[in-house]
Amino acid sequence: MTTVEQPMPDAQRRHVLKHADDGLIGWLTTTDHKRIGILYMVSAFIFFLVAGLMSLVMRAELAIPELQLLDLQTYNQLFTMHGTAMIFFFATPMVIGLANYLIPLQIGAPDVAFPRLNAFTYWLFIFSALIVFGGFFVTAGAAAFGWYGYPPLSTKTFSPSVGADLWVVGLLLSGVASILGSVNILATIFALRAPGMTMFRLPLFTWNILVTSILILFSFPVLGAALALLFIDRNFGGSVFTTAGDPLVYQHLFWFFGHPEVYIIALPFFGVVTEIVPVFSRKPLFGYKAFVFATILIGAYSFSVWAHHMFTTGAVSTVYFAITSFLIAIPTGVKFFGWIATMWRGSLWFATPMLYVVGMMAMFLIGGITGVFLASPPIDYAVHDTYYVVAHMHYVLFGTSVFAMFGGLFYWFPKFTGRMLDERLGKVQFWLLFVGFNVTFFPMHQLGIDGMPRRIGDYAAERGWNDLNLLASGGSVLIAVAVLLFLWNFWTSRSLGLPAGDDPWGGHTLEWATSSPPPHHNFTSLPPITSDRPLLDLRVRGPVRQGGEPVGPSEDERAGADDGGGRG
Amino acid sequence: MSHRASRVSRTVLLGALALVASGCLPVPVTEQGRDVASLYDLFMIAAAGVFVIVIGLLAWTILRYRGAPGRDAQLPAQTSAKLIFEVVWWTVPTLLVAVLAVLTIGVLNQVDARAEEPDLVVDVAGYQWGWEFTYRDSGVVVNGTAADPATIELPVDRTVAFMISSRDVVHSFSIPNFLIKRDAIPSRDNRFDVLIEDEGTYSGQCGEFCGLLHSRQVFEIRAVSPDRFDRWLADQEAATP
Ligand code: HEM
Ligand SMILES: [Cu+2]
Repeated sequence: MTTVEQPMPDAQRRHVLKHADDGLIGWLTTTDHKRIGILYMVSAFIFFLVAGLMSLVMRAELAIPELQLLDLQTYNQLFTMHGTAMIFFFATPMVIGLANYLIPLQIGAPDVAFPRLNAFTYWLFIFSALIVFGGFFVTAGAAAFGWYGYPPLSTKTFSPSVGADLWVVGLLLSGVASILGSVNILATIFALRAPGMTMFRLPLFTWNILVTSILILFSFPVLGAALALLFIDRNFGGSVFTTAGDPLVYQHLFWFFGHPEVYIIALPFFGVVTEIVPVFSRKPLFGYKAFVFATILIGAYSFSVWAHHMFTTGAVSTVYFAITSFLIAIPTGVKFFGWIATMWRGSLWFATPMLYVVGMMAMFLIGGITGVFLASPPIDYAVHDTYYVVAHMHYVLFGTSVFAMFGGLFYWFPKFTGRMLDERLGKVQFWLLFVGFNVTFFPMHQLGIDGMPRRIGDYAAERGWNDLNLLASGGSVLIAVAVLLFLWNFWTSRSLGLPAGDDPWGGHTLEWATSSPPPHHNFTSLPPITSDRPLLDLRVRGPVRQGGEPVGPSEDERAGADDGGGRG
Repeated sequence: MSHRASRVSRTVLLGALALVASGCLPVPVTEQGRDVASLYDLFMIAAAGVFVIVIGLLAWTILRYRGAPGRDAQLPAQTSAKLIFEVVWWTVPTLLVAVLAVLTIGVLNQVDARAEEPDLVVDVAGYQWGWEFTYRDSGVVVNGTAADPATIELPVDRTVAFMISSRDVVHSFSIPNFLIKRDAIPSRDNRFDVLIEDEGTYSGQCGEFCGLLHSRQVFEIRAVSPDRFDRWLADQEAATP
């Protein structure tokens, strides 16, 4: 890495970095937010493939009753590592990757606030993932106590494997990486906005990442505390969460982190949807401030609902947590109406990104509705820890982190590479994924209602769960085909895709005002920023006086908004 | 509404109806379970309504406002927020969840209610990997393992209180047909009461992941008439040394 003693003139600095940039070493030592963003996204996607492969093996085992492929110990390791990897090493880092690439571009900044911290954070995340996966290579195997690792099961007495210690330590480190990443993003958003980019002109993706970063900052330290105490219990006889202490305290700490974590995954993808819908409706977002307010409200509420994961312990206030959980449905519902109202009277262009986004809305709607069922304690008593919950969480998590992710990847791939992904393949992939996902996960609602518990590697043939399990396993093959199609599309389009130009979709936000891929420090010039959609304004209002204000009052001024110019 | 749009909304409606019809809970066999099932049905009606409205709006918008592809297409009218809409869609969901909350709390009180003097008290202990049932007054003990699960009998039309605990890790005492489960947590007691209304054989299982043989930590409950139950209990008592 080049050590810069004194600030260099920009041109000279670019020159030095350009040489260091070439080849593998350039990628491994990079501090450029765009490259780190891509590293994050590619790594996260690889973990998605690994965790996805595990789930296919599980689905193969569950296709027919009793055990065929695996033993129970292996099945237990697989679902634990699948859940852990999907949450901590796929969805969360995918979010951080997208944020890394896009936030500086969306706010008109040359890089993130702390580029070297950014590189450190990335490598810490990779390191932590390797530690957790290292569990597969120790004699007694990887952690096998579920992705939330409840004690006493996760204490040394019941889970003696070193793999369990690796799980604890790895997640602790990945939490540190997430916290450092969120600090960097917050500093970037607060300190590096271009002139004119006030808080209420931030694109909605940036707003969602802002709230997400705050959630990370408040929730991951609590996870860290829980894991550190668990580590002490396991190795130094801490007795915090054993029966001498209180196993339930761990559950509280874990879910105080765990529920915000769901929104740490969901909010950024809501942000992706909120970017894509207006662009492909060719209209401004309907109710910008309502979206910002709803996002903040969801973030705040997400810290008050944690014990709805613990209704069946009989040791929490069911009424309080039921009410807070119901409340969180309101701002989420509001976002749906805002999206639909944005499309209303628009001129909709069903390119691939929009297709995925509409798919996400339909899937998240179902996940949200079943979430309201689960928020009702009497119903939760019946279906808690059954396949109903497996269905619910995949509608929520897969809906956001996979459907909206593909929407975002198809949307921003041209910016990342200067080339388009193949639209036709993208559409075929969408329908395969949509059908495959629903065939896999919709039947699980009924399985759960019929009493099939989650986390079982075998089941008796007489329980009546055979047909739907076979159906679900069949669907998972379609998902796999869809993902393979994407890999093919990605691989070929990187070098052979149609040239994209700077702005293939008619984007609204600043990332489309620079070349694809953007130059090292992102922008050579910026358009005037008088709303959350500077590029759409240009198209609507026509030519602008060089370096001056656009002709006519801005939307904000017409609406009588009070956020003036300059930095907000 | 265009022809295509009306066809779509009809399909959506039928789909939702099929959804409601299929998404039924297992036949509840306890008084408390029946309350839960009726609550579930009310939620299902609300869910179907929300689903049809949102998907219907979405589908209609998609069909009605399709535009030309390509980045240089004509821009539509650039409308933006209207207060009245915002007010409506903050208020309607709020009212809906308020209703659901009130319904929930009513049923919750019934499901969580504990009899002052239950007709029968059964201590339930979970362990890796089986269940032990102790009938409190008679001292009859029935236990099982993963290889040889326990089968117990219970009377219909009597209040039964389960006192639930664990000897090692967290388990969960769960009977799908009762529509309830409660965690078995070491160093802590848990309880729920039921009044079984239908005779029959009901399978039960561990509901919280508890290690290697979690999937085989099952048991069976035979709900029989009070007379038969009394005889069964007497037989068990006689068989106990
Ligand atoms: C690629 C398609 C996927 C398939 C076929 C799949 C399948 C499964 C299966 C079979 C289980 C185990 C169920 C059990 O035994 O209890 C599971 C659990 C889980 N999945 Fe997925 N899944 C997929 C994608 C995802 C994604 C994208 C996420 C999150 C971003 C995710 C998060 C989880 C979590 C958190 C668990 C719970 C693990 C636990 O019980 O500890 N899955 N999934
Ligand atoms: Cu158990």
